[in-house]
Formats: sequence, C-alpha cells, structure tokens
Amino acid sequence: MEFFLQQTVNGLTLGSVYALLALGYSMVYGVLKFLNFAHGEVYMFGAFAGYGVLTVLGGPTGLIVPVWLALTLMFVGAMVVSSGVGVALERFAYRPLRNASRLAPLISAIGASFFLQAAALLLFTANSRSYEAPQLIPIENGLSIGPVDVWAVRVMVIVVTVVLMILLTWWVKSSKAGKAVRAVSFDAEAAAMMGIDVNRVVLVTFLIGSALAGVGGVMVGLVFGRIFHFMGFIAGLKAFTAAVVGGIGSIPGAMLGGLLIGFAEAYTTAYISSTFQNLIVFGLLIVFLLIRPSGVLGRPELVKV
Amino acid sequence: MSNIGVDRWVAESSEHGPKGKGWTAPARSLLDRVPSGWKLLGFLVVAAVYPFLVPQAGVRIGITALLLAMLAIGLNTVVGWAGLLDLGYIAFYGFGAYFYGAVSSDQIGVQWPTWVAIPVIVLASAVLGALLSLPSRRLVGDYLAIMTLFFAQVFLEVIVNYERLPGVDTNLTGGPNGIIGVQPWQLFGFPFDTFNRNYFLLLVLLGLVIVLLRNIDQSRTGRAWRALREDTLAAAHMTTPVNRLKMLAFAVGAAVAGLTGTVLGPVQVGVFPNNFQLLFLITIYAALILGGLGSIPGAVLGAIAVAFTPEILRNPGIAGWLFYIGVVVLLVTVLRRWRMVAAVLAGVVVLGYLVRFLSLAIWDETILGAANDTFLSGILDGWLLILGPASDVVSNYAFVLALAGVLAVTVARGWRRGALLVPTIYLAILVWENKLSLQDSVTRQLLFGAVLVVMMAVRPEGILGTRRVEIT
Amino acid sequence: MALLALALVAAACSPSGEGGGSTTTAGVTTTEGETGTTAGETTTTGGQPVDTCEATIGFMGPITGEVAFIGEVQLNWFKYALDTWNAETGYDFQMVEADTQFDVAQSATLAQTLLDDPAVLAAVGPAGSDQVDSAGAVFEAGDPNFTFISPSSTRVGITAQYQGLYRTVPSDADQGPTTATFLLDQGATSVFIVDDQSSYSTGLADIVQQQLEDAGVTVTRESVSQDLTDFSALVGTIADDTSFVYLPWQVAANGQIFANQMAELGKEAVIFGSDGMDSADFTQAGSYIAAFAPDIAAVEGSQDLLAGYLEQYPETNTFGPPVYAAARVIFEAIDRVCQSGATPDRASVQAEIAATDQATSILGSPISFTEDGDLAEGRFFIFQIQEDGSKTLVQ
Repeated sequence: MEFFLQQTVNGLTLGSVYALLALGYSMVYGVLKFLNFAHGEVYMFGAFAGYGVLTVLGGPTGLIVPVWLALTLMFVGAMVVSSGVGVALERFAYRPLRNASRLAPLISAIGASFFLQAAALLLFTANSRSYEAPQLIPIENGLSIGPVDVWAVRVMVIVVTVVLMILLTWWVKSSKAGKAVRAVSFDAEAAAMMGIDVNRVVLVTFLIGSALAGVGGVMVGLVFGRIFHFMGFIAGLKAFTAAVVGGIGSIPGAMLGGLLIGFAEAYTTAYISSTFQNLIVFGLLIVFLLIRPSGVLGRPELVKV
Repeated sequence: MSNIGVDRWVAESSEHGPKGKGWTAPARSLLDRVPSGWKLLGFLVVAAVYPFLVPQAGVRIGITALLLAMLAIGLNTVVGWAGLLDLGYIAFYGFGAYFYGAVSSDQIGVQWPTWVAIPVIVLASAVLGALLSLPSRRLVGDYLAIMTLFFAQVFLEVIVNYERLPGVDTNLTGGPNGIIGVQPWQLFGFPFDTFNRNYFLLLVLLGLVIVLLRNIDQSRTGRAWRALREDTLAAAHMTTPVNRLKMLAFAVGAAVAGLTGTVLGPVQVGVFPNNFQLLFLITIYAALILGGLGSIPGAVLGAIAVAFTPEILRNPGIAGWLFYIGVVVLLVTVLRRWRMVAAVLAGVVVLGYLVRFLSLAIWDETILGAANDTFLSGILDGWLLILGPASDVVSNYAFVLALAGVLAVTVARGWRRGALLVPTIYLAILVWENKLSLQDSVTRQLLFGAVLVVMMAVRPEGILGTRRVEIT
Repeated sequence: MALLALALVAAACSPSGEGGGSTTTAGVTTTEGETGTTAGETTTTGGQPVDTCEATIGFMGPITGEVAFIGEVQLNWFKYALDTWNAETGYDFQMVEADTQFDVAQSATLAQTLLDDPAVLAAVGPAGSDQVDSAGAVFEAGDPNFTFISPSSTRVGITAQYQGLYRTVPSDADQGPTTATFLLDQGATSVFIVDDQSSYSTGLADIVQQQLEDAGVTVTRESVSQDLTDFSALVGTIADDTSFVYLPWQVAANGQIFANQMAELGKEAVIFGSDGMDSADFTQAGSYIAAFAPDIAAVEGSQDLLAGYLEQYPETNTFGPPVYAAARVIFEAIDRVCQSGATPDRASVQAEIAATDQATSILGSPISFTEDGDLAEGRFFIFQIQEDGSKTLVQ
C-alpha cells in the first residue's frame, strides 16, 4: 500500500508537468488547428529564465530574499520570458503561414525549434544546470500522507497545477476572452464575422499556453533538477502525446492525458519493468486509441459534406 | 488520353492551378513545359556527372541526399497523395535496414544473396506497412499520426532491447550497439562496395522508383488516392474502396522505405538504432514539405536542399560570406530604395566608429581583441568593437538585442524601419564577429533553423508545390 | 520587455567573469608572432634545426545535439591543447572541427570529409563507440593509415577492428572488473544496476552484472531511457536491503537527480557511478565513482594546465582531459616526424603515434599503446565523494 501510494505521488507529479505542457499544445491546436512543435523550446526557455532569476537572487544557497518570494519571482520570470518567446514564435514563424496547408507551419516550427535550441546553446552553453531545489526546500520538509512522506516541492507542483487548471477552466468558460477563444476554435471564420479579432485571440492563446509552459519549466527544474538545451524536445514529445491521447483541442482532455501518461509511466516502472517502460506505455496507448479513436475527451469529428 | 476511367479535367488538374504569379513564375512555366520524362533524364544525367566533379565526401553527401530523396518520395505516396499523416514511416526504413543487416552480416551467421534478400525485404516491408494501415480504418488525422508515431517508438524500443525481450535468446539486432560489418549489395558477381558504386546503385533505384510511382500516380489508383486526400467521405460515396487504397498507400510507402534501408547498411557498413531516431523522421518531412508536398520533383529537390544546406554552412568561410551577403540582401529587399540603403549603410559605419570611440574613451584598449581571420578582418579591425576577454556577457546581450532588432525590423514600416536597421545591422555584425563565427557548429544549426523558417514564410506551399485551398 | 528579461537570464547564466571560449582564439592569434620566435629558438637548441612543421588535425565530437555537453567541453580542450602547443613550439598547427551531433550517419560523412582534405593528418574523436564504428568503417576503407584517437569510446575490442583507431581512455574491460571487484570487497550482497540503454552503459553493466552474479551477489538489473529525467518510480522499487546502486551513465546530472530522489524516498543504498559520472554535476556525498585518471586537479603539472584551461573556458568535465592527451599524442607524433627531417604524412604520423611513449601525461599516467591501439597501462581509480564535494582516492 505504501509502495502504491508512493508511486501514485510520483505519477501525479510527472503527470502534472506533462499536463501543463500539453495544455499549450492543445490550446494552440484548438485555435489554429496545427501542432506548435516548438512549444518544448518555449518550456526550455522558461526553465532557464527561472534559473536566471534564481541566480540573480543569490543562488539556492545564498538567497537574498525569502524562499517564497524567490519562488514567486522565478515563476513570474519564467512566465514572462516564455510568453515572450511564444508570442514571437506566433508572430514571426506562424502568422505568415496562417492560410497555408496544415503541414507548412510544422516545418516552420521545426526550423524555429532548431533555431531556439542553437540560441540556447549560444547563450547558456551546453552544460546542464541544476536548481538544487533540496537546498531551497529541504527534503525533510513535506507532507505525510499515511505512511508516505511527500516532499514539499512535489506538493507544490501538484497544488500549483491544480490551481492553474481550475483558473484556466474558469477563464475559458466564463471570461469574455475565454469565450472568444472557444468561439474561434469552434469556427474561426464565423467568429471573425461576429467581430472577434482572431489575431488577438491567437495572441492570447499563445501567451497563456506559453506562460503555462514556463511554469512547467520551473517546476521540472525544481522537482527533477536538471535543465539543459535539449530538454524541450523530449518533454515536448511526451506532452504532445498527452494532448492527443486526451483528445486534442480539449483543455480538460490535455490535463487528463498528462495525468494518464504520468501514471502509466510510474506504474509500469513500478510493477512491470523499467526497461520496457516506453514499450509498454506506447503499446497501451495504441490499444487505447484503437478503442477510443478520438482520445479521452475528444469528440469524434463530425464531417460536413 | 481516352483511357477508361480517365477524366480529362482530373487528368489535367495540375494545369488548372494559378499560373504566372510571383517572381519564380517564368522559370516555373518554362519547367512545366518540359515533359517530365526529359526532366527526369536531365536530373539523372546531372546526378551521374556529379560524383566525378567532387571529392569523396561530396559523394558521401550525395548518397545522403539520394537516400533522403528516396525516403521523401516514398513518404510522399502516403502523405502527399493519399493524405495520411504517417509518423511511423521511419520504422519501415529501420525495418529494411535491420532486416538486410541481419541477413548480410555475421550477426546471426546468415548470409543471403542480394537477389534473394532484396525482394523478400521489400515484400516484408510492404506487408508490415499494410498491417500498420489497419488502424487507419478507425483513426483519422492527428490521431492516426500519433498512433503511427507510437509504432515508430515501439519499433525503436524493440530494436534497442531486443535481447532482453522475454523468450529471446539470439542477439538479432545487436541492441544499442547495432549491427556492424554489413556486406554490400552484390548482383551478378558485382559488389557495390565503394561510395561511387553505392551512389550509382541509389541513383538507378531512385530512377526506377520515380518511374514506378509516377505511373501509379497517373493511374486510376493515383487519382483515387487524391480523391481520398481531398475528401474521404465523398470518395467513399463514389464507391472508392477507401480502406484498400489506404492499405495500398501505406504498403507502397513502406516498400520504398524498406528498399532504401537495404542500401543504408552497406553504405555505413553497419546499422545503428541511432539512425532511426525521431529527428531523422523530421528531416524527411522537412525535405518533403520544403520541396512541395505531392510533387515528386519537389521531394527530390527538397531532399537535395536539406542534405546540402548544412554541409554548405559547415565551411566557416562560406558561412561568413553568406552572413554578409544575407545582410546586404536583407537591406536591399527590405528598403528597396538605393538612397535608403546608402543612408542605412552610412549610419552603420558611423555608429560603429561612434561605439568604438566611446567604449575606448570609457575603458582602455585592453578590452579589444583582434578580429577573427576572415576576408573582412582588415576592414573590421579598425572599426568594429572586437571584444577580447570577458566578451561573453556583452555578446549575449548583443545577441538577444540583435534578434529583437531583426524581428522588429520585419514589423516596422517607413522611416522607422530604416532607423531600426542601423543598430540591428551593427549588432548583428558585432555578434557575428564576436560570437557566432567562433562557434561554427552551433551557428550552423542556428542558420539552418532560420533558413527553414524563412523559406516556409516565403513559399508556404514548398518549392515545387501547388497552393491548395484547404477545405475545413 | 520579455526580451530584456531574456537578456537578463542570458547574462545570469553565462559563465562568470573570465569570458568564454570564444574569445581565446582571437587572443592567441595576436600572441603567436612573439612566442613563435622564442619557441623557434628553443627547438633549434634542442637538436636538429626544424623551424616549420605544418599540420592540420581534425576534431570530431557531438558539439550540438543531445549530448552537446560532452562535445562542447571536448572541443574546448582540443582548442586549448592546440593553442598551448602552438605557443610552446612556435608551429602553426591548424584544426578542422566536425560536429557529429552524436549521430552515426553524420559521423561517417564527416570522416570522409576529413579523409578528403589532404592537409588533415589525423583526428581526435569521435566520442561514442557507435560513432567510432561508423567513422571507422569509412577510415578503414578510405585510408587505414589515417589515425583517429577517440577520447571517450570504451567498448571492448573496438580498437582491434580499425587499424587507425587508438584511444586515450581504458576500455570497459578494465573498468568493469575493477568496479565489480571493489563492490565485492565492500561486502556487497545485493546490487541494483541501472543502465541507460546506450552502448556504453549496457556494455559496462553486463560485465559488472556477470562478475557479481558469479560471486553470488543478488543483482537487480533495470534500465532507463537516456531521455528520462524522472527516476522516482524506479527509485521506489529499490529494495531496502540493497547495498549498492551501480549507475554506468554518461549524463552525470541525471545521476544527481537519481541520488536526490533516493534521498527523497529514504533509500539508503550507496551509489557507485562509472567514469561518465565523474563530473562536477554529480556531488552526492558518500558515493563512489570510477575514474580512468587520478583527479587531475591533484596531479602535479596537470594543475597548471587545468588552471590555464579554466582561465579561458567556462567549464570542464571528465570528457575533457583525455582529449588533451589525445591531441598531445598526435602533435608530438607529428613533431617527431618533422624533427626527423621528413614531411609528415598520414602513414608516418600513424607510425609515430603507435610508437608513442609518454612517461607522463595530463591524466597523470604514462601513455603508450598496445598493438590494437588500447592504452598499454589502462587502470581505473575509485574515488569517494566527500561532504564538501571533494574526492578522496580509495583505490
């Protein structure tokens, strides 16, 4: 039982990060109907921004401000930088391709992804860096859930993710801008005719999706520790998977998809085999998609003829 | 032109598209008038002469381009014609390569003659492709894409961990080490054991595949694929056998990939899991889309562009030239008026001297280093601020600012654009000389990425693609 | 606004003070003239008068891509070796850099590029054994007299396959048994081995597992994909009676994450890392690491080199010094050919490299090669990491 609980916490943490990233993919897909392949790079820049803020504030061992303030500033810094990168991506790599075929932005995104990785190599060098989170928040600090001790950072990751998701759901459902996003993702042309500024909606979507990726970047830095120029590529793949499995374009779907993959990875390693983790997880996902061809919450596409 | 089942309008559909637009139009319309058979012949002749004009490494790069062209053409069948987004394509390439490797090396002690191995492998790849097409009966669009991607990942995992699979006792795939010592093709006692021979082998295969696929494309099957791509539902209502066509597209694509794989092993004298990573799949897609989805000449051209661009950029001298030519081209195309160009250039020169003068007034000369040894170093030495030690922080700032400047220039209008160009160009040169030209390999990746983005922005439909209206 | 913030990050992340590698090339160019004359005199006094010796040496490594942290440091050490050598001797040796991106296909193409350039006499690299294999096939077919010295390929037996291949690190055949024996000496009863599914890692893990199992130790063998950065699920499965966790990994930072997560989940087994983990990124106190060289910061003579390197380049790791050693082997071989009055070519350089007999090197150990091209005296050292992050030699 203790073992199971422990692994559940592990899966939940991992799933939270995947979910935050998957949201970016799903939101952009909802509005523009293509995959923002460079989203992983946005997340990577967020992670480095958080590291930059941490360094400016004196580093993990010599903080000049209280820990909570440092963490807040790190998140804010990451969100600002990530959304800056995200918006620039939209403006310069994707907007010229708005009316092109669906695969054209994919290549543009790949180009942007190479470019951003190289830029990160030039700016930050190839050495991986560490937030050294255990220095910030000692491993002893945490929460006891039954027999299991959970590190405070993990608790924070899960709580922040849940809060962000509730906020996002509320925003999309109730706010005016959120309604505009939904309208555009339902039918961009009709929305434009109703007087919705599509460019603005796209911008807002990128802004929010990228900011969430920035948060994800800092979280990964805090829980798992290692940040490096290539991290976006790997995490992006998982998050993209999560978005599709959840039902691409669906916001709650992305959250569920992220968690699903997080749990699948944790339990597979725990109960079956670490060697075949990927094999089994991907195998399971194939079977899953065959049973539900449009993901967890994706609606089957209705085709107008 | 009166074959049964040929509709004239459909048969000539490629001629109905918009013509005569853009600056490449004259060249394109000229190209259109040349019969495709002659185009192919022309390409083959040029390609056949190529290896005699370049050093061995050039041939090696030519082989890379040909491999990529074969793969792009095969992928085009699935993605460009049938409209099925197949991200598992790389697995068939891997399957062919590993299959050939296993039966043509000492790995499991089996040596098949080439004339047995190749047909078997091509057939097996096609069957595997047909199997992968089964999910496409239920899954569409991105869901099919991700499903096939999973398949590619599963393939890779199996390759790497084969030996550890339960119940396996032969080391068929060599695990992470791959298979080494793969023997070359040998036909009628003639071994294809040098770069040149493999190059020509690939060229012949490419020619055959092109002819074959072109014939399929112009047959009923080809038209049915396009019907499938444009509107599956409508096609189904016209009694097109949708599922069988999907299966055929997957099988043909897989067969071409498998065939290509059999040449990879001999060229490399080995096959490794590393050959079939996702990044390479992306490269194939880049070649196909860059060249123009749906077009065979486009796929070949795209493959050549993708294979050669990074190699051209590899030479630091050429990269330097390209950079300065790029700056000038940017200036001319962005400003369009010679007076403005001259004004901006003058502004850059003045700014350079100003910055140099001010910095030397504030700090002493110890901050200066010498310019990198390039064709411009004589001019640059006296003008540019070449930072000696401690330049990293400054050049990092300059790099980010220069990027911001370039982005801002594309948005700004009128005199603001000119004004922005002055500091942007100065910063760009500063960063180039202080940072980028010293880190060849990273800069190469940076430029390659930028080239991809710019090319797509300039021609979203690809070099030889036709602009299509997306029906949503 | 966001871009300004980015600049801030960049500034914060960039190595403090001394300035990066990029500037040094320019710096050295200026001093070349002066040192040239002085060193020229030195060689004259040395014996036969040779004023010029020209050579270009290739460098192959993963400068970009997933393991750029290896290639970047290797490239910097190579540049450093070249600069110091040129300053020492007054020669003007040139280099060609070739970015393999840790990709086998790239590696083969680049090998051919180096072969085609008649000025290139030999090369350092490539890094991984896969890349060595694909490049090796090209060199072997094109010109077996072309020497390439890998500074980090450790697969057993690979040097026997290619005439031109040498290496400046001992092979897994040295490291595996040293590790297993040490673990047995420490009274290991139950060992948890995790490989990272790379060729390097599985090779080592297999050797160690075999030897431990033969000695009756319970071994749990797991493996993770190199892409993974969350090991908590795997760490959770480590049994409480496990005495050692053996991690033959290339990415030391991942090892540190593993260690952190072990601490987090209250696992008390001791980590034993392979030479890839010998890095400032892995600082878990109490852990052991294997290293193919004594701590060069403690080796007399190497200290100055290290300090000189760090003045110009921001960071180093375990992959760096063997590059310096490999470069020196090539430089000195070329020099010997020049000293003998001949014009160096690939065959003569290879003959001299095979005859290398350095009494000591940056690695603190003598360098000479076996017939295959392995280090004649490949030996592994074992360190324990202390609370303050320093390393103590335990074997």
